Amino acid sequence: MSKALINKKNKENISKKILNIFKKKGFDFIDLDIVIDTDLLTRRSGEGFKKYALNFRDKSGKEISLRPDLTIATAIQYIQSKKTGTAKLSYFGSAFRLNKKGDLNVFDQIGCEIINSKSSPEYLVLSTVLSVFKKFKKNKITVNDLGLFQGLINSLNLPHRWKLRLIRHYSRKEYFDELLKRLDTNYDLDNEKIKIDYDRLEVLKKMDFNKMIGSRSVKEIIERFEKKIKDPRDNFKGSQSVKIIKDFLKLNMPLSKSANIIKKFVEKNNLKIKNISQILLKLNNLNKKLGLNKDIIFDTKFGRETQYYTGFAFSVCRQNKELARGGEYNNLIKTLGGKQTPAFGAAIYLNQLI
Amino acid sequence: MNKIKLGLPSKGRLKDESIKLFSSKNLNIQNTNSRNYFFNFEENDNFDGIFLHAREIIERISDGTLDAGISGLDLLMELPDEYQNNIKILKKLDFGFADLVVAVPNDWLDIQNIADLEEVSFEFKEKYNRRMRVATKYPKLTEEFLLSRGVIEFKIVGSLGATESYPFTGSAELITDITSTGSTLKENNLRIISDGKILKSSACLLVSKKFKGKELDIFR
Repeated sequence: MSKALINKKNKENISKKILNIFKKKGFDFIDLDIVIDTDLLTRRSGEGFKKYALNFRDKSGKEISLRPDLTIATAIQYIQSKKTGTAKLSYFGSAFRLNKKGDLNVFDQIGCEIINSKSSPEYLVLSTVLSVFKKFKKNKITVNDLGLFQGLINSLNLPHRWKLRLIRHYSRKEYFDELLKRLDTNYDLDNEKIKIDYDRLEVLKKMDFNKMIGSRSVKEIIERFEKKIKDPRDNFKGSQSVKIIKDFLKLNMPLSKSANIIKKFVEKNNLKIKNISQILLKLNNLNKKLGLNKDIIFDTKFGRETQYYTGFAFSVCRQNKELARGGEYNNLIKTLGGKQTPAFGAAIYLNQLI
Repeated sequence: MNKIKLGLPSKGRLKDESIKLFSSKNLNIQNTNSRNYFFNFEENDNFDGIFLHAREIIERISDGTLDAGISGLDLLMELPDEYQNNIKILKKLDFGFADLVVAVPNDWLDIQNIADLEEVSFEFKEKYNRRMRVATKYPKLTEEFLLSRGVIEFKIVGSLGATESYPFTGSAELITDITSTGSTLKENNLRIISDGKILKSSACLLVSKKFKGKELDIFR
């Protein structure tokens, strides 16, 4: 038998076993569409994401993409099904992505997702995934709560627009680092220009407020301008915030010690992070449930590149190979056109297992 | 000896300035008033010339049909990277100056720079549940520029002409376009945003990377 055929058989056998485990845990199997409306992808991740997807035009000229991600495909299917209750779904299939050079990579994945859960789904998903790997020793588990980063930024003494910028661009590491450099030196806007435009404001105020200029109303333009000039431009302490952010992103510790270390960090920097006690409680509970003897790392940088993660995220690695990854994505379904719906899911990477 | 296959722009100021440039090196075109697309130089038999659209000159140098030619830097940079891999810029010339810029309606006084545009693009998407549309003849350069500045919530609308009208006809919210003095943008109630310069362009003498001759060194 050829090597390719052996690989294929192996994949089929392993996927059957994994899907059986998922079934026993109550996940229903769904068959996902192989193509996705490109507009939905860019709506979620912006125009730049198109570079990583294999895109085509159908006969009507509409742009479609081979699914680059199976969580997105699952979320779209959930929206189309018009379900409202909790859905526990599992899938098996390939995701198609282009690398930076433009070469196509195909990733075979098996995943499970809990959508619209009434209780915290992270332990169920994580324990389900870990049960697949229970025979393997020396798995390295890394976890993070991306909601903590958002809380940290919102607690800093920064203009509102800077907080939004840092949160929006957290997943784009290079641009985020550039933003930190700008924040460090307080480089932002041209004050001379603000003066000139302030004169123009008087002209605009005499116009009909409902008049649309380039699809934006006069009212909208005036309101944003007035909000902007009230927001401090150059008298805030950017460098102090940059130091806190950089120190936070260096935190890397055993999960068992994470709640304590984060608490100390918050106190030391005098931060008032909303929901901090809930986040710390969640970490403590997770640590207890997973077992204190497990080697689990809490890394504040982990999971940032997966743009749709909003809270807890994890990965399972063995010998530097990532075997599985999962996380909370509470905004994805809304971005794709559904209602605001909490969701949590994970995928096992078959290519890494064979 | 093989003759050098040369392409010059077929119309407008770019054509006139290109002819002038070659004349300054004693390479005068025979029968300048002829409607023939092919040309030769007086007293120099080393060249076989053809007048072509500026963009086609780049395409023909890239596919090896031409050895050299004059075209705009903006046109070269807008084409896929493989064109730049096949073509060398022998010299940036001192004519055909134009900037590719980002322009917004003049009355968008809250948008002064790219940081503002980035913020408003997110707010716009949240409010209207669609992305801001950018009309342009330069989709590749525009996309690269905006993404590199953190503006990710936008959609390109391809334009073939009269791009300045798009924000006022409901076809786009803002534009990127090539401008030399900015007066057309101004007349159409558009304003270039500060730090919104995508590319500083000029005419360029381009040669195929496969071309090994020395005849064009007089332009260096």
